[in-house]
Amino acid sequence: MKIFSGSSNKLLAEKLAQNLGLELSEIEIHVFPDGERRVKLNDIVVDEETVVVQSTATPVDQNYIELFFIIDALKRSGAKSVTAVMPYLGYQRQDHIFRDGEAVSLQVMIGILESMGVNKVIVLDLHTIKIPEFFHIPIDHLSALPQFAKVIKENGWDSDSILVSPDMGGLRRIKEMSEFLSGMSWIATVKDRNLDTGEITIEKIESSVSNWSMENLKGKRALIVDDMASSGGTLIESAKLLKKSGISEVYAFVTHPIFSKDAPKLLQDSEITKVFVTDSVYVSEEKKFPKLEVLSVAEMIAKEIKD
Amino acid sequence: MVNKSEDFILLTGRSNVQLAKDVAKLLGQKLHEPISLFSDGEIRVRVPVSLRNMHVFIIQPTAPRVNDSIMELLLMIDAAKRASASEISAIIPYFGYSRQDRKEMPRVPISSSAIANMITNAGATQILTIDIHSQQQQGFVSIPWDNLYGSYALLPMIKSLKLKDLVVASPDKGGMIQATGYAKLLGADGVALVYKERDVAVNDKSGTSAMIGKVKDKNVLLVDDIISTGGTIVNAAVYLKERGAKSVRLAIVHGLFVGDAIEKIKNPVIDEIFVSDTIEQRSEVKNIKKVKIASVAPLLAEAIKRIQTGQSISRDLIL
Repeated sequence: MKIFSGSSNKLLAEKLAQNLGLELSEIEIHVFPDGERRVKLNDIVVDEETVVVQSTATPVDQNYIELFFIIDALKRSGAKSVTAVMPYLGYQRQDHIFRDGEAVSLQVMIGILESMGVNKVIVLDLHTIKIPEFFHIPIDHLSALPQFAKVIKENGWDSDSILVSPDMGGLRRIKEMSEFLSGMSWIATVKDRNLDTGEITIEKIESSVSNWSMENLKGKRALIVDDMASSGGTLIESAKLLKKSGISEVYAFVTHPIFSKDAPKLLQDSEITKVFVTDSVYVSEEKKFPKLEVLSVAEMIAKEIKD
Repeated sequence: MVNKSEDFILLTGRSNVQLAKDVAKLLGQKLHEPISLFSDGEIRVRVPVSLRNMHVFIIQPTAPRVNDSIMELLLMIDAAKRASASEISAIIPYFGYSRQDRKEMPRVPISSSAIANMITNAGATQILTIDIHSQQQQGFVSIPWDNLYGSYALLPMIKSLKLKDLVVASPDKGGMIQATGYAKLLGADGVALVYKERDVAVNDKSGTSAMIGKVKDKNVLLVDDIISTGGTIVNAAVYLKERGAKSVRLAIVHGLFVGDAIEKIKNPVIDEIFVSDTIEQRSEVKNIKKVKIASVAPLLAEAIKRIQTGQSISRDLIL
C-alpha cells in the first residue's frame, strides 16, 4: 500500500501513514506562475493499493482540482486501487436543489470522483446522513462523536451536563451523541426573538427530557455538538444564550474546524470554556487559540483502511 | 414549438465578464451571470431564468484563478443540465492546463485530458476553444470540439501596418505550424525559428539557444499561442534583435502576463505587442502603450450564431 497527500492536510496524512506503519510517498506539487498546478508522483504505484488524503475545505476548488490530478496520475501509473480519504467533503452543503436553476455541486464532485475510477471514499461527519446515498462506489462514513464522548467521560463531564444542538439540523447528531454517553439528556434549540421587547432567548424545539422547562438548564454544564464551525457565530450566540438561561459552563465539540479569518478570535473571546475540534481540516498556527483543542482522527481512519 | 432559432441563453462565470458582455452585445442577447460565493469560498450557481429546451452557451475561459474558473464552468454546466437545457456549449476561449497535454515524464497526470473529461461528464454537449495549445486535445473527449483561431482577430491589426520585409518567427519548435500560417496569410518573405532546449525537470525555465532562418534587416513578427511570464518570447525577441532584425513585434493569442511579465515586455527591443482578449487584461497591461488588444468577441459571436443556426463554422471563421 502507498499513501499520498495533497497539499491541504499533510499533517493528518503523516499521522495516518504513521498509524498504518507506512511512510508518506513522495509527491511533487508544483505551482506555476499562472496558478496552474503540476502533480508528479515520485513513488512507483504499479499494482499497488493506494490512498490519497485531501480535505476539500477552503480553498475548495484548488483542493478538489489537485485531488483530481493526483487520482488521474495514480490511475495512469497503474495503481491497483485508489481510496480517497476526504475527512472534510467540500460542497457537501450543496447536496440538493434549494431553488430552481441551481447546480447540485456535490453531485458534480461525486460524478468526477467516480468517473475517474476512485474505488472507495472515506469521509467524516457529513452534514446530512443522506449524502452517502449519492455515491455509487463504496463509502465509509466515520464519526468523531465517539472520540468526543471519550473526552467528555475522561473529564468527568458525563454528569451534571446536558447535550445541546444549536439548531434543528443537528437533531440526529445529538441523539447519537446521547447514546454514546449512556443516554445523557439533550435539547435541540432555536433562537427566539420576543417581538415586543426584541430580546433574544433560546427555545427548546425538542428534548429527551419530558415535561421540559428552561429551569432544567440552571447550574448545568452545556456540551454543544455540531458538525462544522466557520464564522463561529452559531456557537458563540448559542453559548451566550445558554449562559443567560442559567447554564454554568459551555463546552463545544465540533468535528470540522473550517475557521474563517475572524473565527479564532471570536471563539477565544466568547463564553465558551473550551472548543474541541478534529484535524479533519488543517488548522494553521495563526488560527490556533488557547481555548482550542484538536483531536486527531488519524487512528480511526487508519483502522478503517486496515479493515 | 420549441427550439426556435432565437431560443438560446448566454451564461458566463467570473473569469472574463467583459468578453462575455461584448459577445452578448454583438448578438443582441441578454447575458446571465449566475455565480455567487458562500462565505467559505464555495461557488454557488443559480440561473434565474428557465432553460428548458434552450441551447445554452456558457462563455468561460478557464483563466487564472484557473481552478475556480474550471469549477465555475462545471457547476454552470450542471445547473444547465438539471434545468433541462437541450444543448450545452462550453465556450472556452482560453483552455487552462492545456500545456499539460501529455505524459512528459512518468507518473504525472494528463491534466488537460482530466479537465476535458470533467467538462464532458458534467453534461456539456459541445466544446469550443480558441488556439488550443495542441490540436490532439480535441480527441480527449467524444463530444464535438471546435477550435477557432485568434489570428481572425489579430491579423487585421497586423495587416493594417503594411509591413515590408516581413518575417514571421516562432519562439519554439512547436509553434512553426502557427508561424507558417501567419506568414502565408500576411504574405511574409519567410519564416524563422528560434529554438530552445527546455528541461521539463526544472519547471518553466526557458533558455534561448539558436535559430533557423534569415532575419537581418527584416521586420520580424514573433507569434505564439500563450504568453505566461514572457521569458521564452522576450528572450527570443532579444536574440532576433541581436541577429540584426530591424523591428520585433509579438502576436500572441492568450495573454496571461503573470510573474514579472509586465516588466519583461517593456523591453525596448519589442516594438509592438498584439494580443487578444481571450483572457481579461488587467489595466497594467492595457496601459502599456505598445500593447494592442484585439477582441475575439466578433469571432465568438459569429461562431455562436452559426452553431445555433446550424451553419458551418470552419468556412469563413477559420483563416
